[in-house]
Amino acid sequence: MPENMPENMPENDLVVVTDLRKTYGATVAVEDVSLTVHPGEIFGILGPNGAGKTTTVESIAGLRTPDGGTVRVDGLDPRKHRTEITSLIGVQLQASELPDRLKAWEALELYASFYPSPADPADLLERLGLTKVRNTAFAKLSGGQKQRLSIALALIGNPKIAILDELTTGLDPQARRDTWELVKQIRDSGVTIILVTHFMEEAEYLCDRIAIIDAGRVVALDTPAGLVEAARSEQRITFRVPGELDDAILKALPAVNSVQREGDRMVVTGNDDLLVAVVTELSGRGLAPVGLHTEQTTLDDAFLALAGRNFEGAER
Amino acid sequence: MSQTLTLTRIESKLFLREWAGLFFVFVLPLGLLTIFSLLGNDGSDGVPVSFLPTMAIGIGVGILGMATLPMLLAGYREKGVLRRMSTTPVRPVKLLIAQLLLHLAAAVVVIALILGVGTLVFDAHLPSSPLPFALAALLYCVAQLSIGVLIAGLVSTAKGASIVGNILFFPSMFFAGVWTPGDLMPESIRWLRDITPMGAGMTSMQDAWAGSRPGLTHLVAMLVVTVGCIGLAARFFRWE
Repeated sequence: MPENMPENMPENDLVVVTDLRKTYGATVAVEDVSLTVHPGEIFGILGPNGAGKTTTVESIAGLRTPDGGTVRVDGLDPRKHRTEITSLIGVQLQASELPDRLKAWEALELYASFYPSPADPADLLERLGLTKVRNTAFAKLSGGQKQRLSIALALIGNPKIAILDELTTGLDPQARRDTWELVKQIRDSGVTIILVTHFMEEAEYLCDRIAIIDAGRVVALDTPAGLVEAARSEQRITFRVPGELDDAILKALPAVNSVQREGDRMVVTGNDDLLVAVVTELSGRGLAPVGLHTEQTTLDDAFLALAGRNFEGAER
Repeated sequence: MSQTLTLTRIESKLFLREWAGLFFVFVLPLGLLTIFSLLGNDGSDGVPVSFLPTMAIGIGVGILGMATLPMLLAGYREKGVLRRMSTTPVRPVKLLIAQLLLHLAAAVVVIALILGVGTLVFDAHLPSSPLPFALAALLYCVAQLSIGVLIAGLVSTAKGASIVGNILFFPSMFFAGVWTPGDLMPESIRWLRDITPMGAGMTSMQDAWAGSRPGLTHLVAMLVVTVGCIGLAARFFRWE
């Protein structure tokens, strides 16, 4: 846990998750997750696939019953106050679709009828740039249009909180950028957003604060800048070794925190003495590192530093 | 209530956009009625004159209950449509009610089509006992639709629902005596015709058509199927 974890602000927190645990049979989806979401922010939940992100937000939305811990949304238990919670939270779910032949306009009209005081469907279509395709069947919409429609459906009930799960997965870069701007506009209109993503870039660009989840645990919770700063205090070098080298030899060095292999390259992180310690150790063994360089710190590195493994690698 | 109405209205539009489904539900029974009416039925072999129209109704409504409804509901679950709805304040059971209303309306249209075309084009008589006929027809529709809800409750994908529906549908037609009407059905298996939903439905409608009271066995059989299926569906139906 990083030292600069923000102070809890209990009076102010819209969502409070404490020691959440959820298992599916023998599989532990969420081991131990605690986090708080402040009103008016874009809160990112970042982590590789299978880290427990979706289970966490589904528990917040009241779709799952936690096996342990508590979830409070605006002071309410999502499982006990289903009706209030469904009006409070607008959800855009991963892998949930609409009937193929349902037109964009009909989808909004239908979902508007579900809520006690819905937003104006025509107004939402306009805001999300869907007016032109209002009479287009769901199956005929482009990927970006489908995502915008599903954002519109998440907002149709005038929610306080919108949960957006893997919003831009499968979109081309332009559509992704457009969607990001949209998410910022929604936040600026006063809706608190919980954004689930496995794109570092997306989290870094959009989120006010980010919880990094790995293997069912929160490994860090901070602003994007704070996370990068935390990782920056760590040195990271990569190189190739012409010959055999046991990872354990480097791991045994006091200056070294982690040793990874990316193909034939070694990625080593550690404290300020890292470079000297590694090079000294290698030359002591008659090995000269090839293509040695230090790398710029990004959120990706922050994850590597915090979770001790590579993000992209963890996805496979 | 307005939610159920909006759901029924929009789901009806979707229903009418499915051409393949419409063909099997409405055109196939009419086609069967037309072809076999042209071939003629002289009432020999103990085959009642109302066999053809009740067979057309039996098949049309049977397709609604054993294919259209379960495939649609299982498909909605498979695609996450039901899950998406469960994040809104609407109770998902309203979608089920909307679909049942819609399918019941479609069944009424099938029956009206068969009765209308039968009388207007093929000079058939209308059922002699209208009220008992309506009761038998309604019970048959409800029994078939409850079978559909049960299939959708037990099977998780549209494809699976279609397979189970087919497995049930063809024996249903066989036991209903579609290929062996009247006395042509071996006596030893006629009891199956009395108690399987399609057989009981067709036979009781034929009885009412001829002016006699539908047999209690048939009506009770359909009632038992309905109650049993709804009870099991209530236990096993999952929204996601």
